Amino acid sequence: MKVRFRVNGAARGFDIEPGDTLLEVLRGAGYVGVKKGCGTGDCGACTVLLDGKAVNSCLVLAAKAEGRDVTTIEGLAPSGTLHPVQEAFLDVGAVQCGYCTPGMVLSSVALLAENPAPSEAEIREALSGNLCRCTGYAKQVEAVQRAADLMRGASK
Amino acid sequence: MAIHQIREILRPATVEEAWTLRVAAPESRRFLAGGIELVLYTPPAVTDLIDLSRLPMGGIREEKGDLILGATSTFSEALSSPLVARYGGGVLAAALRRVASPLQRNVATFGGSVVRGHPWSDVTCVLMGLDATLDAYDGAALTVDLDGARGRSPVPPLVTAIRLPAALRDVRGGFEKFSATAFDVATLNCACVVDIVGRICREAHVVVGGTPAAPRRLVEAENALRGRALDDEAIAAAAGVAAREVDARDDRRATAWYRRELASIGVRRCLVAARGEGDEVE
Amino acid sequence: MTARDSFTVVGQSARKTDGRGLVTGRPLFVADVDLREALVVKILGSPHAHARIVDIDTRAAERIPGVICVLTHKNTPAVRHTTAGQGYPEPSPYDTRMFDTKVRFVGDRVAAVAAESEAAADAALRALLVEYEVLPSVLSMDDARREGAPVLHDEDDATGIYEAARNVVADVDIDVGQVEEGFRRSGLVVETTCETQYAQHTPLETHVVLAQLDAEDRLVLRTSTQVPFHVRRIVAQTLGLPVHRLRVVKPRIGGGFGAKQEVLLEDLAGWVALQTRRPAFVCLSRSEEFTSSRTRHPMRVRVKLGLDAAGVLKAVEMEALSNTGAYGAHGLTVLANTGSKTLPLYNKAPNARFSGQAVYTNLPVGGAYRGYGATQGYFALETAMDEAAERLALDPIELRRRNHLRAGEGSPIFRKLGEGREGVEQIVKSCALEACMELGAQRIGWHKRRGKRERHGTWVHGLGMSIMMQGSGIPEIDMGAATIKMNEDGSFNLLVGATDLGTGSDTILGQVAAEVLGVPPDRVVVTSSDTDVTPFDVGAYASSTTYVSGMAVQRAAEEVRSQILVAAGSLLAVPPSMLALRGGHVVAQDGRSVELARIGTRAFYEAQQNQIGATASFVPTESPPPFLANFAEVAVDTETGAVRVIRYVAAVDCGVPINPKLAEGQVEGAVVNGIGYALTEEMQFSTQGRVRNPSLFQYKIPGALDVPPVEVILVDSYEPSGPMGAKSVGEIGINGPLPTLANAIYDAIGIRFRESPFTPERVLRALRARDV
Repeated sequence: MKVRFRVNGAARGFDIEPGDTLLEVLRGAGYVGVKKGCGTGDCGACTVLLDGKAVNSCLVLAAKAEGRDVTTIEGLAPSGTLHPVQEAFLDVGAVQCGYCTPGMVLSSVALLAENPAPSEAEIREALSGNLCRCTGYAKQVEAVQRAADLMRGASK
Repeated sequence: MAIHQIREILRPATVEEAWTLRVAAPESRRFLAGGIELVLYTPPAVTDLIDLSRLPMGGIREEKGDLILGATSTFSEALSSPLVARYGGGVLAAALRRVASPLQRNVATFGGSVVRGHPWSDVTCVLMGLDATLDAYDGAALTVDLDGARGRSPVPPLVTAIRLPAALRDVRGGFEKFSATAFDVATLNCACVVDIVGRICREAHVVVGGTPAAPRRLVEAENALRGRALDDEAIAAAAGVAAREVDARDDRRATAWYRRELASIGVRRCLVAARGEGDEVE
Repeated sequence: MTARDSFTVVGQSARKTDGRGLVTGRPLFVADVDLREALVVKILGSPHAHARIVDIDTRAAERIPGVICVLTHKNTPAVRHTTAGQGYPEPSPYDTRMFDTKVRFVGDRVAAVAAESEAAADAALRALLVEYEVLPSVLSMDDARREGAPVLHDEDDATGIYEAARNVVADVDIDVGQVEEGFRRSGLVVETTCETQYAQHTPLETHVVLAQLDAEDRLVLRTSTQVPFHVRRIVAQTLGLPVHRLRVVKPRIGGGFGAKQEVLLEDLAGWVALQTRRPAFVCLSRSEEFTSSRTRHPMRVRVKLGLDAAGVLKAVEMEALSNTGAYGAHGLTVLANTGSKTLPLYNKAPNARFSGQAVYTNLPVGGAYRGYGATQGYFALETAMDEAAERLALDPIELRRRNHLRAGEGSPIFRKLGEGREGVEQIVKSCALEACMELGAQRIGWHKRRGKRERHGTWVHGLGMSIMMQGSGIPEIDMGAATIKMNEDGSFNLLVGATDLGTGSDTILGQVAAEVLGVPPDRVVVTSSDTDVTPFDVGAYASSTTYVSGMAVQRAAEEVRSQILVAAGSLLAVPPSMLALRGGHVVAQDGRSVELARIGTRAFYEAQQNQIGATASFVPTESPPPFLANFAEVAVDTETGAVRVIRYVAAVDCGVPINPKLAEGQVEGAVVNGIGYALTEEMQFSTQGRVRNPSLFQYKIPGALDVPPVEVILVDSYEPSGPMGAKSVGEIGINGPLPTLANAIYDAIGIRFRESPFTPERVLRALRARDV
């Protein structure tokens, strides 16, 4: 079947199998920054934004994206200038193997869009569906706090 | 993983049309809401999904004091709704905050949750405590209880909304979930709802789920509360009854013995929270 | 040597060299390339814990449209080998075949299919008709050695098994001094036994490999591995190819933690590519990762301590029984490390013994897992030390102070027990354990808050501590090499066989080179882990990279520096010894300088033309241990038995941290992994040996809400034998939580937990048993 939705701002048509997940369709279309870690919604490596909300793309049928907005990690720095969350992840050392990073970054971006000054508890809650086995989460939390500061400073 | 056997996604525009599609092929068609449960498991015979997203089944509203949770509304929507925050002394919101992860709460719907009815479901547990009924459709509008979303042959009715009664809008409640990690299903969960008039507990609902069987009301524990002041003694009595009454069994997560302990602790903590002097942990 | 106080690049938390690509989601991982032409290879796992394969009928599977080939023991090489990615000759037994006529655990390889699509591959797996003769199985390590127990490895071509007929893979027995005499002369003897569970590494990226033939028909393996050179050697051995017909490339990989020190899938993908002349892609599902990859060896470890009245150890004895599962990968060496990485810590004991056996069972296969036996050993050792401190009424810190290894000292264990064989004598040159304990104690408020049993509602708080050491590489065995070449703009290419599995080793190795060469880190372009391009390195394991590969880089950089100084000397007419490299320039003492770009351009095009460059190797003659003092505060819910880690302080001596944030990250991640192991992570089995929780839905690793921020203190230290004063730090942190949390729980509620994980139900049962 054919579906149309926007990926990182650009309208695109996809020829899919009706039972395909958004994860498979996006990776098949070259958005390989979307990672598969479990396929059951338990790790968050496949996180994308669907109409601005962070979701497990492995649990969403691609057909459900019809007419909607999808943001993948590839869409955060289209001109090559990193998003403040990406900058902050690099600055504080929140990236180790990097496999969970796209999902972590997108969950953080979604959080900051709703809550520009989150507490540590709110950050941990927002990242609680994104597992990381390399870090101890402290540096991701720190990165989100730093990004929040950067973004608030920039918007002043 | 793709649901390989799916051949078609049907997109009806009305509830009637959706129902007609469903009953035309009871074995091979299923309704699609958020889709999580279907992605995780779809019976091999199912080849068509009936997408409910165009139907007017979303949104959260009040209707004559009842709280109406549209079947396709998500847990995240509910968590940002002031109506939900207020209802039942906040017990519904308290439970929703403990469900899975934010990523899943952005997709998971009330309809999908009650239709699937996982025995560990925090949502079923709290909805049962709140006397939820389901607005449904099977050729005509009807009301069914929570279990009515499943099982009726050949086709269970289409759930269009979850209805929480006006009568419980201003009750107090508490929710407790015990799990191995924060993002885990319940080893046991518990929801208590009490209606206190004067100092007397006029009505009490005590629900324990994930035992590992599905949530159910503990009638004797409720009886131990009705007509009594909600003091420490009454709470302890109800908790003790709950431990005996709960249908606890062994599974991979815990033994029946431990679940009885948790049931007692859960009931007590929920009631203490409902009374409004939540004892701080840590 | 560059003087420590003049470091300009080392000691800085430079951004990761691969960070930008990772945060922008560039196609860096194995599965991120175009796979449309690749065959999907899937594996049929055994449904039985122990069975002989009587026959496999593949005809129906082969007829399914899209199925290209079916592999079984009938049509694949039957070479006994080990999957353990260790140096040659491997200390693990050759007890594994690509496909065997026998299966030894639920999930063991029976057959595989290669197909045009995943759906066709799945259909083919279902169509395979396998006739099994089910055999009695061994499902616990206690049953393994019983008289009449089923024998797992009854094949006649396996080698390197200690005693196959008794299911014993490996046996270790060493002693120092007179242990019995030592105990007789001890006023206090403490004995404790701890038992640890099956656990899985759960890297976010499962094992994955893409095999294809290049234009000259060489086999190219793009694989998620910690050991590219061992993969090349072992696949060549298994498939009967000359090494030069293989190329192994490790791109970015999604974590390893030891699971990827294993040659698990490369043989299969390679064989399919060779047979079909098509690219072949194998990726384990999360469920297969649990059942069929590798695990931490469960162990039972008994420790006996003998102490005099002053709290000085007179004798230490450790005995371990290790469950290696169905194959012996790392069976001997993990067992040996249980002793060799722990007992030298308490070198005041003149008498010591370590003994143990590793046994086969019909359960998932043990392997390398961060900590590598030390995790299991320290649980028992540091629990016993805590018990001894209590019996002597000594502060646990004080007891350790009276017994731990110090700089300038050695331990006879270093020589007696090495990597599954005799070890190497060593005098430890750096040890800041005293400072680690002091700073950690201060940070957590040890002296004020321990033993107070602070109560908050139903929660009781307690503090615990432990200390430990690990190593930095395997002395006289590991080799790492590095090549540096200079470009005309004064930049450098650094080529290393070292394998960055997310740890940041590319970054820190680049920093070492940049420091020596006097350039900013971005002038060193790092290429790693491609067997066609980079020099040899054993790979990322045994906490070797910073120390071993780092020294190779330092030496190569020093050689390149000499060449640059010679070239500059001839330009400036100054003896090289009067020149220094600084800020991208060669600087003379009289203030004249010449840009590196000038020297690079001259060498390429103008005068004394040559490629400035060097390759250097390093084989360590010692394994300087990093040290760690752990302090934790836990809260125990006395109603539910739940344990929460409130604070965790890890004060670590890893020498000079080359990149402090990356060093902290190693400790933070290892500690949190260890907390998961201590509290929730456990592979559970059915009575038939099937894994009952093979998913991240059922096997719970810590998430952001489950752990506090680990407070890492990098304690000032300098290791004279290491690159820029550094030691390795990859593993040590994971050993901390088991004993530290157990000791903290004891402080809170007075009950010792000697069996992990410390689940709420176990804790509550113990509380109830005591209170009755």
